[in-house]
Amino acid sequence: MRIVIPAIILSLAALASCRDMSAVRPPDTLAIHMGAEPSHLNPITSTEAVASSINNYIYENLVDRDYDTLEIVPQLAERWTISPDRLRYVFHLKRGVVWSDGVEFTADDVVYSYERIKDPKVACAPLKVYYIDVTSCRALDRYTVEFVYSKRYFRALEICGGMPLVPKHVFNDGTDFNTHTKNRSPVGTGPYRFERWDTGKRIVLIANERYRGKKPAVRRVVYTIVAEINVALQMLKKGELDLMGVRPIQWVRQTNSESFLSRYRKLKYFMPYFSYIGWNSRRAWFSDKRVRRALTHLVNREAILEKLEFGQGMVVSGDSYVFSKNYNQNIKPWPYDPAAARELLRQAGWVDSDRDGILDKDGKKFSFTFTMSSGSKFAERLSTILKEDFAKAGIQMSINRYEWAVFVKKLHERDFDAVTLAWSLDWESDPYQLWHSSQVKDGSNYCGFVNREADGIIERVRAEFDPVARMRLLHRFHEILHEEQPYTFLYCTPALVVVSKRFNNVVVHTKGLRYDEWEPAGGAQ
Amino acid sequence: MKKYLVKRLLLLIPTFIGITLITYLMVRLAPGDYTTLRAGVQGELKQGAIGKEIIEQEKKLFGLDKPIPVGYAEWLWKFVRLDFGISRKDGRPVSARIAEALPITLRLNLIAMIVVYIISIPMGIFSAVRKDSTYDRVSSLALFVLYSLPSFWVGLLLLLVFSGGDYLNLFPLGGEISDWARDFGFFGRLGNRIWHLVLPVVTLTYGSFAFLSRYARANMLEVINQQYITTARAKGLSDNSVVFVHAFRNSLVPLVTLMATLLPGLLGGSVIVEQIFSIPGMGLLAFEAILSRDIPVIMAIAAISALLTLLGILLADIMYGLVDPRIRLEAKL
Repeated sequence: MRIVIPAIILSLAALASCRDMSAVRPPDTLAIHMGAEPSHLNPITSTEAVASSINNYIYENLVDRDYDTLEIVPQLAERWTISPDRLRYVFHLKRGVVWSDGVEFTADDVVYSYERIKDPKVACAPLKVYYIDVTSCRALDRYTVEFVYSKRYFRALEICGGMPLVPKHVFNDGTDFNTHTKNRSPVGTGPYRFERWDTGKRIVLIANERYRGKKPAVRRVVYTIVAEINVALQMLKKGELDLMGVRPIQWVRQTNSESFLSRYRKLKYFMPYFSYIGWNSRRAWFSDKRVRRALTHLVNREAILEKLEFGQGMVVSGDSYVFSKNYNQNIKPWPYDPAAARELLRQAGWVDSDRDGILDKDGKKFSFTFTMSSGSKFAERLSTILKEDFAKAGIQMSINRYEWAVFVKKLHERDFDAVTLAWSLDWESDPYQLWHSSQVKDGSNYCGFVNREADGIIERVRAEFDPVARMRLLHRFHEILHEEQPYTFLYCTPALVVVSKRFNNVVVHTKGLRYDEWEPAGGAQ
Repeated sequence: MKKYLVKRLLLLIPTFIGITLITYLMVRLAPGDYTTLRAGVQGELKQGAIGKEIIEQEKKLFGLDKPIPVGYAEWLWKFVRLDFGISRKDGRPVSARIAEALPITLRLNLIAMIVVYIISIPMGIFSAVRKDSTYDRVSSLALFVLYSLPSFWVGLLLLLVFSGGDYLNLFPLGGEISDWARDFGFFGRLGNRIWHLVLPVVTLTYGSFAFLSRYARANMLEVINQQYITTARAKGLSDNSVVFVHAFRNSLVPLVTLMATLLPGLLGGSVIVEQIFSIPGMGLLAFEAILSRDIPVIMAIAAISALLTLLGILLADIMYGLVDPRIRLEAKL
């Protein structure tokens, strides 16, 4: 007892003297909110968006897309040559590039990375898909690599040049690649290098002093893991975070006070992404395009956007990135029009013949199930609105929620009537995976969209290297999608980001933000 | 007694195998598996379909192609040698992940448990002694109100009010220890930890007062109405000595055994509290493992808590025998 009491008093004294100093940090340290912790930082085996947002600053590729023009520009390759038949891609590497541990980057690293992707023992299924048509990758000399494609493909340069690169001398030590210890302490060539990982708390990067380019002015970056987004916003307001993505409700309601605006910038930009309602065309109700169009007419997209997303987003009518040239701006989304919907349904043969308030055709009632993942608040609220609006038109909809793992399985097995989901896209659209009839059975075309003209266009797009010709084809493809309505396209919602004014030169590029160009604005707060 | 113990310990083995086998069956038979899940993140899929062939190849990598009995046997053989396997999520040994999360959860739960016992048992006893008094009624009403408040709501509210900075700025916004407190002396760090624990402990405990104090109250009431208490009063003992010397000790008997069954509960973290207060404990570890079908982690946690539950039950039975001489453990099983 004699020891315990002073101990308690002392710790109470320490407790009382606690002043929160979490908001105090060097001016060149940037604290970024991270909602989920990545499992590891190996760019080949990781599939998570959080991991790739960090890896972007640690690892580099042979080529990159320009942050503004989106053109393909050299990164670790100095230049490249493409054979006239467009099957051979030769990259000439920059000389004197070193990994953050000082070892030189060479063609061997590129070949090693390629071999890992192809290695059946390496768990990178989502990445392997992209390299099915690449038949070989070999080093011609210490600074030259050649990729050979088996087919002509317009994205080949980006796919070969954008291949994730890992250092051979680090990973090639005989241990398992999937569980390699360096997966959690990566070595790259980028502007930052890995410093520390406190599991469940933070990942810290520090400027890579061996980086060949301009050294970033933001010297240290702390990715802080805060699972609860309301708590994260509070931490930002207290100055413990400098950068976070906010929810629409926070953007509209909780970040507009004068004191907030004097300390933070609010930035909004759109990324290639769209959400949609997919109709399983194998089902009797949805096999007719008139019915699918009628359903689109029944979804009040503008009002739902206003209600659920606080107007943050735009209604889209097709699958290309809404700000790219490939998106056909002449096509306007079908309007909310219940009268037109009823007419279309009548034309398709759906009438209420037994007067029970529900449409029917050949004795089959228009009564389907909306399948959704139980984690999605958006889907949850969307489905209740849809249920009500469809009921007014004589369509009965019931709602089924599944845990994400089960939901994904149902998609793979095509065991659903209608779903809502979103796709995040590449910068350049290749509709093959989502819409080609060959993808109906096992691929991502799980709604079963089949259209002969569309198939032809999709195949031509893949082998077309002229961007203007490709654009024309994609515009026509967009028209077909609009006509067929395999999906009811919903929204492209923006990234809503709040950044502390402690940093200057915060520029919103087409590709988003990049903190390696930011400048600390003088002393700490 | 010795024979009884040996028998009980041997009985643990088939029970343990039964529990883990059922767990393994459930995980493997539940729809969705680790490989397919990697096709997309929550609510959003990535462009690029994955062929069946590649998926099958990857399943093989994680042993998902093996029949369930083989998979279970392999797991059990490893577990017996204390090899918990490799977590599929980050490729680290499961034992390392548990070793990281366990102390955090253990600390939080121990403190919470002590707080709950210290507060609710006296409350329950006073309620019993002053049965049907205003105190009894008001306190039980208050405790039941607390009991019915959802913890995700209370936790967030506590944070917003006491540490958000908009109203009060008394506590940190989550975590276990401040970054800047690492260089402090022992007492400084201890103080900082306690400071971080206040709100999580409040959130974790306020709902449990009702159960335990009602339990203590009921036990006390039962004891107080016994004849020996009447005898004690008839002897002319003071109220205090009747309650605290004669009744109190006997009313604790059921509580002691209750404590033994709490053993496995100490390891299970609360997902909600951990998420709100950014505490990387066992709750989140288990929750994430289940969502991502990370079988080695799920199995390790299930096996450990099964083992502790079984030991807890055994311990409770033994303690019964110790505190209550009327129960004889030599009896036939």
